[in-house]
Amino acid sequence: MKKYLSTLFTTALVVSSASVFAQQASTLDELLAQLAEGRVAQTRQNKQREADFVARKSDQDKILSNAKNTRNDRILESTRLENKFQVNELALANNQDALNKRLGELKELFGVLQQVAGDTKSKFKNSVISAQIPNRGEFLDEFAQSMGSSSKLASIEEIEKIWFELQREMTESAKISRFEREVVLADGTKEQAQVTRIGNFNLVANGKYLEYINETGSVAELIRQPSGRYLGTAQDMTNASNSQVAFALDPTGGSILSLLVQAPDTQERIDQGGPVGYVILAIGVIGLLIAIERFFSLYLIGGRVNRQLKSKTVSNDNPLGRVLAVKDINKNADLETLELKLSERILQEVPKLTSRLTMIKIISVVAPLIGLLGTVTGMINTFQAITLFGTGDPKLMAGGISQALVTTVLGLVVAIPMVFISTMLNTRSRGIINILQQQSAGIVAERAEQGA
Amino acid sequence: MTLFIDMMNSIREFLDTGGQVLTVIAGVICLMWLLIFERVYFYLKTYRSIKQSIIANWNSRTERYSWNAEHIRMANVSRASELLNQNVALIQSLVVLCPLLGLLGTVTGMIQVFDVMAISGSGNARSMASGVSRATIPTMAGMVGSLSGVFVVTWLQRTSKRRTELLEDNLPMAH
Repeated sequence: MKKYLSTLFTTALVVSSASVFAQQASTLDELLAQLAEGRVAQTRQNKQREADFVARKSDQDKILSNAKNTRNDRILESTRLENKFQVNELALANNQDALNKRLGELKELFGVLQQVAGDTKSKFKNSVISAQIPNRGEFLDEFAQSMGSSSKLASIEEIEKIWFELQREMTESAKISRFEREVVLADGTKEQAQVTRIGNFNLVANGKYLEYINETGSVAELIRQPSGRYLGTAQDMTNASNSQVAFALDPTGGSILSLLVQAPDTQERIDQGGPVGYVILAIGVIGLLIAIERFFSLYLIGGRVNRQLKSKTVSNDNPLGRVLAVKDINKNADLETLELKLSERILQEVPKLTSRLTMIKIISVVAPLIGLLGTVTGMINTFQAITLFGTGDPKLMAGGISQALVTTVLGLVVAIPMVFISTMLNTRSRGIINILQQQSAGIVAERAEQGA
Repeated sequence: MTLFIDMMNSIREFLDTGGQVLTVIAGVICLMWLLIFERVYFYLKTYRSIKQSIIANWNSRTERYSWNAEHIRMANVSRASELLNQNVALIQSLVVLCPLLGLLGTVTGMIQVFDVMAISGSGNARSMASGVSRATIPTMAGMVGSLSGVFVVTWLQRTSKRRTELLEDNLPMAH
């Protein structure tokens, strides 16, 4: 069945391919005849094309002559325009010369005006007087531009306006004036406030220093105000009415005050010390707590010992009393036993008096050492920064350097009071121990003699 | 009067260039010298009468050989020595504190210098000058203060020790 199908398929193929050949040329002769016939047809076609071409030749000639005419016209036009351009240029140069001659010294004046306009603009930008009189420098931009282009001249009105503005700046800088204005407070809220302007130096409102921000044209309270004694003068200035008050002004017109905002406060300073700084502070706090506890207990004990020295009755609430009580307990003992018992009792009392004092001494020694450690780690950070970024920008090194310095400061700040405190506590405890060790036997003897 | 005002002004200027730490150092040096003068006054004036009363007390005793007598003598000497040594340790610690405070001033001054550098760049030496003076002047003041105290403290310690020994010699035991 399969074989029969494939045979049928092959036959069908042969039949179909034979029919394709039959459409073009069934035999070679037929193909030859076809070819000959095709050549004849082609020749005929070529003849036809040739005839067409010849027929159109005159048209082409016409187009050519037209194009030539146009070109000649254009060339003529171009030469004409070129001549005109040269003539015009000459005229222009002459006119420019004439203008320059006629301008004469005015030209220099305009140069000066342009420069002054630029200078005044930047001056107005930074001046706090602009907070009181806004937008006074806006025309200057246009004016400077028109001065820059040679085609436009400044009008007398414009020149007079610059004069007026300069004069006004000068006059206002000599005045202390008050005006109502919207002020941005430190917490971001806006408030209408009475602002006092001191010349072109400072703005003050509600006892706070203000800064004028040119970009937004707003007046804002300085986020970080100067120290109390300067703020006090600002308060005086706000409250003053026609009387003389002392006032701390920033002669740079606010730039020193704005640097103040960048300077770190105490908290930020301590943060610069990093972990080492916190360790030093923690040790300092521990030392301080120990010192406070020791102070109270030593002074209490000292007071009781002094009371015991004066009173005749032996009380048990103080070291000296307990030492003296040894005599009463061992009434019948001989002198050597008594002395031994006394020194035994004293040996028991001494540790209570000296305990934790060594701790304070150690802290006073260790704190600067940790500070030194912080210094060295800070320097390592600095050199790390130098390795990575080079020495070009000192600000990149600033972090390490401030860590180095701040830890040293913290170490010293902890160590200095600790040295002082440890000396005081030592003196105190040694005084009491002295009384116990060297005077207790004497006191016992004195009592014995008085009693006898 | 004008001389006094001039003096006060120059002192105030000096303290201003040195910064807050210099004020603290000045306070410490003042306290140190007050204590030193108090000691000197004590040695020269007060101690004399104390010593004489102790010697007189001792000499008025009839028996000077018993256990009691020996310990009473020791107690007297110890009391006197305590009085002689009072505040000497404090003075010594103040002498030690002076250079430490000077170092503190140096470091705070350096911080100020680096602040100026961070704000204005490293080019401006004049703006760094105030920080540098705050770094150097306290160090100098601390050194001067501590040097002025060192000799006096040694003298005080030796004097109090010698006076204790002298007192001991003045209270003879009768064996």
